[in-house]
Amino acid sequence: MEQVIANGLYLGAQYALIALGLTLIFALMNILNFAHGQLYVLGGFVTYTIYGQLELPFVVALFAAAVTLAVIGAFIERFLFRTVIKRSIREESTMLLAAGLAFFLDAVILLIFGEKQRGVPKLINGIFNWDFRLVMPYDRILIGFLAILSIVTFVLYMQYSKTGRAMRALAQDRVAAQLMGVNVERYSMIGFALGAMLAGVVGGLLVTITGVNSGIGGPISIKAFMMVMIGGAGVISGAIAGGFILGMMESVGLTVLHSYGDITYLVIFASLMVFLSIRPQGLMGKPWG
Amino acid sequence: MNDILQVIDLTKRFGGLTAVSNVTFSVRELEILSVIGPNGAGKSTLFKLIASFLRASGGEVRFRGERISNLAPHITARKGIVRTFQETNIFKGMTVRENVIIAHHLRSKASLFGFFIGSPVAVRDEREFGRSADRILEFLGLGEIANEIASNLPQGHLRALGIAIGLSTEPTVLLLDEPFAGMNHDETMRAVEMVRSVRDRGVTLLLVEHDMSAVMKISDRIVVLNFGEKIAEGTPAEIQENERVIEAYLGSEDESIGL
Amino acid sequence: MTRTTKIVGTAVFLALVLVGIPAFITVSERWDLYYTLTSVALLSIASGGVWLTFYIGRINIGQGAYALMGGYVSAILVVKYGVSFWLTLPLAGLFCAAASVLIGLPILRLRGVYFAMVTLVLTEVARLLMLALPITNGAKGITNIPLPGAVKIFGLTLIPDFATLSNVRPAFYYLSVILMIVSFAVLYRLVNSRLGKLCRSLQQNEELASSIGVNISYLRIIAYVISSFLGGIGGAIFGAISQSVYPSSFTIVDSINFMLNCFLGGLGYVFGPILGTFVLYFGWDLLFETGRFQLLIFSTVLIGLILALPNGVLSLRFNKALWGSSGRE
Repeated sequence: MEQVIANGLYLGAQYALIALGLTLIFALMNILNFAHGQLYVLGGFVTYTIYGQLELPFVVALFAAAVTLAVIGAFIERFLFRTVIKRSIREESTMLLAAGLAFFLDAVILLIFGEKQRGVPKLINGIFNWDFRLVMPYDRILIGFLAILSIVTFVLYMQYSKTGRAMRALAQDRVAAQLMGVNVERYSMIGFALGAMLAGVVGGLLVTITGVNSGIGGPISIKAFMMVMIGGAGVISGAIAGGFILGMMESVGLTVLHSYGDITYLVIFASLMVFLSIRPQGLMGKPWG
Repeated sequence: MNDILQVIDLTKRFGGLTAVSNVTFSVRELEILSVIGPNGAGKSTLFKLIASFLRASGGEVRFRGERISNLAPHITARKGIVRTFQETNIFKGMTVRENVIIAHHLRSKASLFGFFIGSPVAVRDEREFGRSADRILEFLGLGEIANEIASNLPQGHLRALGIAIGLSTEPTVLLLDEPFAGMNHDETMRAVEMVRSVRDRGVTLLLVEHDMSAVMKISDRIVVLNFGEKIAEGTPAEIQENERVIEAYLGSEDESIGL
Repeated sequence: MTRTTKIVGTAVFLALVLVGIPAFITVSERWDLYYTLTSVALLSIASGGVWLTFYIGRINIGQGAYALMGGYVSAILVVKYGVSFWLTLPLAGLFCAAASVLIGLPILRLRGVYFAMVTLVLTEVARLLMLALPITNGAKGITNIPLPGAVKIFGLTLIPDFATLSNVRPAFYYLSVILMIVSFAVLYRLVNSRLGKLCRSLQQNEELASSIGVNISYLRIIAYVISSFLGGIGGAIFGAISQSVYPSSFTIVDSINFMLNCFLGGLGYVFGPILGTFVLYFGWDLLFETGRFQLLIFSTVLIGLILALPNGVLSLRFNKALWGSSGRE
């Protein structure tokens, strides 16, 4: 039982970080970032290259991943999304662009890093063993802890920093924020960069545990969407809640329904559909319409 | 004159906020009844409730004795109660004529499938709608601009179009939400005449309006709301003398009552 | 566009598609083009369905689910129950239509990204369901599906048994293209009839539409049902051509592609999906020569197109307001 909870928490923390990035982008610009999973993968590969191949310290690698993804995110917003938003009549064009971007990033990743699964040496060796009731490798505990630390840092940043407050104002009401003097374009770019950075950081963290390969971008995006949907799109607490809930569901499902294989995800997805039909705004989202 | 519409103890709560509280009044057939009150008094909410766009938290609305509250909006419309809106009362992308033609949908006898295959009933409907639309456009002075895209119209014409759309449905009761908003004096007087002639065609009218001079001119009776409650009901003369009403308006920032 | 232009244009298109292309292929012996164009035709049918859901104001990323369902229904009926393919075709469509009523009722009231996300999940649910159900044979899928049989009425052979044909590709080509023409004729008629106007009224002012007596939920379900029907028959024919159906036959990527086809062609134009599918599919196929750079070049060009023409390719030709151009003379 403790094992299931511990696993759930560990998974949940990672998922929450991914969901946070996605929901931030959605909140700021009403864009569903289909390419979010690919950003995660990029983060993983950058970390792999610097930590695994160049054998520089892990912290350096993680930092590099964060910076790289932030730059990429800013670039994407500034030159791609901003252009489309300006020129398009329909709001769905951004979805189209995001889809195209996902394909593009998939292609780039495949070309640069190849299709093999890549891994890096463990950060810490050894396994924590509490009477066999709770068994968890130390590196997972560390990564889980780092993830939770990142979440807390992010929430505090959004809550108290000037940038964070500007972004929150922007997310709430674009026009009002503009009237208050918030530079909409600048903060949209920062927001996207931040969102991308979060995805990259998780990628970097998880490459030390589960490795990374070029094909997991898509499935990660799907999971991210699901979390955001469960918790409520565009709401920070929702993303965190969604992340932990999905983490828990997976942990429980994989343990309990282990013998039934893929049924876990079928059940999760189907329940999600039912849940969303009843409560489309998720747990904490604003009721629309 | 019979009571064609009865609002009985109608209440609407949004979470902790009560927007409309136990409002009761009746509308007589073929009368023009205006609902007035300071901003936030609950007038729009009341309209939405009557036209079934909101579910009532309590009370009911009766039309010709039949309960109509909480039905789906399109069903209430089919029964003859049609509502036009303040801001977005038109179909932006269509021409004026198209707007009016499509509003006839309520009166179509053909089924959706009939329209698809072009059944004789459907074809007849389309022809009749075209003729009726032209008549209505003439009646409201929109004949000249029939082929303009609706979103290009100036304010006055937009209002008229909104009324045209309402008329096309051949309503029994028409709810006009601030029909004189944003008009200058001349435009308002013309609109008042227009609204009167609509009533003369056999439509009972319910208005929400802020323009007091228009309200006093056009209404047979007036209902006054404040903070979601009905505080007065009567003829324009009675309302102008009513102390509670004067207090309510002085307490808010609306223009004071007068002609 | 005047009436004459439209009639001439249609005639030219029909001649090209029904006569011109087969002639060209026979002469140039590029038999592979049959497969490519057949795929384009089938995919555009499914995309046409997605286009219709756009028409009622919903972003539908779930068509892959219905294509998959249609494929499986047809395959199972043919393989396990020996039903004639030609009968399974409408049955697959009807099955999807029925399923879409059940699914659509709760989800169609969702809007924007919420609806999009639910349909995305739907595609995945369909795939997982096909993996899990015993009747669908799980991951092994349904293989060795026999080719469509003959259709005989009163001893007269209307359609020959596909297995007896020396070259089965033209047959599938004609089947798909004819169905595409019929489907889009239906869509065109829909859009230009009162139904289309009602849908547009729904799009432009939902409250007002309700106010004039339009039963919004009913209209939405009808559109969604037709859309899913189209998805179903597209999937069914695909299964017949490849003679196999797997849970992975239609995935989320396909659902996204259907959507892309509509976008690229231009959401304001009924025939947009055909053009969009053609461009995207042919584009992808043509780039096959570039080997491992295929996806990179494809996606780069795609992004470029989106940046340059965010309102679709057809927006180049027609400059009128998007909503005025379909139906107004």
